[in-house]
Amino acid sequence: MKTPLYAEHQKLKARIVDFHGWDMPVWYSGIKQEHLATRSGAGLFDVSHMGEIRVQGKESVPFLDRILTRSIPDIQQGKVRYGFALNETGGIIDDLTIYCVRSGVEYLLCVNASNTAEVFSWMEQHNREGAELSDISSETALLALQGPQADTILSRVLEIDKWDHHPFTFTRYDSRAFGKLMVSQTGYTGAGGIEIFMDPHSVVPLWNALISLGAAPCGLGARDTLRLEMGYPLHGNDIDSTITPFEAGLGFAVDMKKADFLGKNALETVLSGGLTRRLTGLEMLEKGVPRHGCPCLKDDQQVGYVSSGSISPILDIGIALCYLENSVREGEEITVSIRERRCRARVKTPPFVAGTV
Amino acid sequence: MVIPEDLLYTKDHEWGRREDTSLRVGISDYAQSELGDIVFVELEKMGTRVRPGEKIGTVESVKAVSEIFSPVSGAIIEVNDSLEQSPEMINTDCYGDAWMVLIAMDDPTETAHLMGAQAYRDYLEAEAK
Repeated sequence: MKTPLYAEHQKLKARIVDFHGWDMPVWYSGIKQEHLATRSGAGLFDVSHMGEIRVQGKESVPFLDRILTRSIPDIQQGKVRYGFALNETGGIIDDLTIYCVRSGVEYLLCVNASNTAEVFSWMEQHNREGAELSDISSETALLALQGPQADTILSRVLEIDKWDHHPFTFTRYDSRAFGKLMVSQTGYTGAGGIEIFMDPHSVVPLWNALISLGAAPCGLGARDTLRLEMGYPLHGNDIDSTITPFEAGLGFAVDMKKADFLGKNALETVLSGGLTRRLTGLEMLEKGVPRHGCPCLKDDQQVGYVSSGSISPILDIGIALCYLENSVREGEEITVSIRERRCRARVKTPPFVAGTV
Repeated sequence: MVIPEDLLYTKDHEWGRREDTSLRVGISDYAQSELGDIVFVELEKMGTRVRPGEKIGTVESVKAVSEIFSPVSGAIIEVNDSLEQSPEMINTDCYGDAWMVLIAMDDPTETAHLMGAQAYRDYLEAEAK
């Protein structure tokens, strides 16, 4: 599958990789350069492969409240919340963002590209309230404009004085040049900035306008190193259907006070039994790049594994997210086995660098 | 894509430079550009005996890990240790300072199996299709 910006990526000579069936740019100029451009200025990411599911009707609230981990009535119009769809064992089917478009009657879920079909059919299957569901992924383009210059660049493109909004809010904006936009103060980089949901037919001119004002086109490679520096989990690597939000340290996005939601019983059981592992981070103390699956060892005993890792372009050392047994403490030195070589690392709760939403 | 005329090439994108009966080995411009920002290099030790297709090192970019293979049979008699400190040299000078190892060849006629510059150029074009 290709996003509406595929031809632009080719013009920019992007390296294209297959990402869960999508031909996506992994980098243009280089991952490090794009990463640093996003932290210091503005990076522009085509994330149109992400899925969007619209939920409408007065049944939306009871339905979503029963299937997702967040309290839906508490989300005010114009607000965004991060939450989960859980399976019967409390494992994470997907992590997603929930947009309250019109209070009580219209919501938008932004889900991972690789999980869109699964989440949509899971929702249909559980929709006993009869909410109106539509998968609008193919009618929705999504750009992420991230970095300290993002707001300035966007306001110049839209010819408005100042784009000034709070994290985890969004605004619908009818622009003359690019049609209807839904501009959300969210992201996956920790560099600050916005995400723009829009009509695929107007995305090419907006993409090019943002680049002409200084936004650096960035691929999935930089998106991955940016999110890793912040400790944001990636579904399929750091979280999946066998891992609960509590093990992943994401309990803030689970409202256990709600009367009920899918997976709640299982989570109660997990919590009462106590957690045996937790998601945390590692900073390498010597050369070596930890990768998904590398064993973590303490006194020659395996105490966990790396769930995702790379080099931090900001710190210039290897960093990783990993699951470790509770006996391993913050600040402790352990080793990571990288291709049979034992490399020293220190346990460090992310973020690895300071960030902002 | 830079493909120096005086070098020999493998299908795995290593290059070799004949130096008497030895072969200096590195990775091609194509290989470094496909890998992207190289962040880690680990080379086999001096004295290691290798055969064609056996590992002489590992190169890691931000995104991927790639093994580097010997084009010929012989013994590694020089190792470019400076790459461990400055792996990014492979991105900037893959045919020069970023050579990887020097192999004393068991049989110098073995290089006849390697591609010349034109053959390698044709091979890259065929691969791209």
